Amino acid sequence: MSRNSAQWHAKPNLPETHYVDSSIYTSEEFFREEQEKIFNKVWIIACHESEVPNAYDYRTFQHPGGENLIIVRGDDQKVRAFYNICPHRGNTILYDPSGNAKNMTCIFHSWSFDTKGNCVDITRGTEGYQNRIDKQDVCLREVKCDTGYGGFIWVNVDDESMSLKEYIGDALGLLDECIQPEMEVFHYHKAIVNTNYKLWHDTNSEFYHDFLHYFNRITGMIQPGYYDRKYEGYKYGHASVGSMEVQYDKYAGSQKRGVGWPGLGPGGWILIDLFPGMTYNLRTSVLRLDTAIPLGANKVAIEFRGLGLKSDTPEQRAERIRDHNTIWGPFGRNLHEDLLAVHGQGIAMREGTDSKWVIQGREESSTIHDEVGMRHFYAEWSRRMGRKASAPQEQGKIEAA
Amino acid sequence: MNSHEAVERLIYKSALALDEKNFDGYLELCDGAFTYTICTYSPEIRKDMIWLQHDKEGMKTLFKNLPRHNSDHSPLTRHVTVYTVDQKDDGTEAEVVSGLQVYKTALDGGATSLYAVGKIYDTVKLSGDSVSLVKRNIRLDTRELGIGHHVPF
Ligand code: FES
Ligand SMILES: [Fe+2]
Repeated sequence: MSRNSAQWHAKPNLPETHYVDSSIYTSEEFFREEQEKIFNKVWIIACHESEVPNAYDYRTFQHPGGENLIIVRGDDQKVRAFYNICPHRGNTILYDPSGNAKNMTCIFHSWSFDTKGNCVDITRGTEGYQNRIDKQDVCLREVKCDTGYGGFIWVNVDDESMSLKEYIGDALGLLDECIQPEMEVFHYHKAIVNTNYKLWHDTNSEFYHDFLHYFNRITGMIQPGYYDRKYEGYKYGHASVGSMEVQYDKYAGSQKRGVGWPGLGPGGWILIDLFPGMTYNLRTSVLRLDTAIPLGANKVAIEFRGLGLKSDTPEQRAERIRDHNTIWGPFGRNLHEDLLAVHGQGIAMREGTDSKWVIQGREESSTIHDEVGMRHFYAEWSRRMGRKASAPQEQGKIEAA
Repeated sequence: MNSHEAVERLIYKSALALDEKNFDGYLELCDGAFTYTICTYSPEIRKDMIWLQHDKEGMKTLFKNLPRHNSDHSPLTRHVTVYTVDQKDDGTEAEVVSGLQVYKTALDGGATSLYAVGKIYDTVKLSGDSVSLVKRNIRLDTRELGIGHHVPF
């Protein structure tokens, strides 16, 4: 029987770890608090080292905490990160998403900065400031930056943060061998969707939605080994899903994959979600890396990267690109379905729609359709926010799961 | 009808066929050796990227598979303008450059928005009275395609 208002709003008859209040997806207040308590405290992937291969190469990055960053390789080959704000009158220093600049010169009044963040020129400095302002006083704000785990460049805007190594812990262990060889980004695109960033990360954290994907039903769900894949949770909200052999030839027009990946079984698939919005998705011949950058409670920019091996022959690379495009990329079969679903959630649950609960209650011994991956995420979310995801209006100290 | 006119008609028909999701009609305009590519350049990674690539058989399979998938059914409207038609000296082929704008119309309410812009680079085979598409290369300027789309441009 359908439910009336009271029944609709009544708490689900499940442990409070097994559902969340949908206001965590819609409240602008919670979103600003997430920026402060989560995104500005943790390590975030800004780009990949192959995007800044040479000295003075730079990339810009819109940090999910709100800051605009510059990632630049110095002539000492070290990659550093800075705020992309001119200390003079607050102009954007680097406009282009990538480039090469020995000195980064602001177009407005031509102040210049080197790749170590030093201010190296104040135009007509002594005439205007005499001895009152020195170049030393107006250097760039540097942000912690580290490279690792497959050559990704990570940033953390919290000067007091733990190290990247401590933050990741054992979470990427399943990929240890796979991310040893040098990799290269061959695909990049950004999707802006009116939905909450967590809904994207949730989708990357549960495989029950393989019902959404014809491709995965045919090549995975009805194949042997599918239900053996297991979730494992790690400290700080990260989670992994183990491999199976995907039967690609079961999808018309698809075929058994030839190139594979070092350290991964044939047709293998390992997925690792990193708190609060990054996913390593190694599927047979391509590593896909998602970075969710929230732009508001109901708006997210998702950066999608596809990576192959630096050592690829042109034929191998072409095959990886083909595999990638079949399911991923803006015209891929699976990515569109995933984005269509979170777009639908964004419509259904936006503020004022009287949405109330989201159920994450499946228990199947941590196997593929168990929803433990999402529960593990929300335990960490609750701890950092000091709010239970199931009752976020109340604040207080919440212990780690 | 001169060949320039025939080439233009072919290009416009191909846009109409896809707008109408008349996939068989689209494939009829394509030569047996047809290849289709959507590509673009990423200034973020400073690389050319291929986003979709198929031969004729691959396109056929793609069209056959699509109804089995969950898709955004908002219709697309392709606006194509043929800019240049350059015929090879021997008259067997023509290189065609066209402008492309793709509009998306929301199913609910019918609001139309510009979805993508780019150029189409076609190689057209000319033999007697018949013309057919041998190669279509769509080069997008637009790279932010929101939730993406299952039907090729
Ligand atoms: S704002 Fe950058 S030099 Fe003045
Ligand atoms: Fe999915």
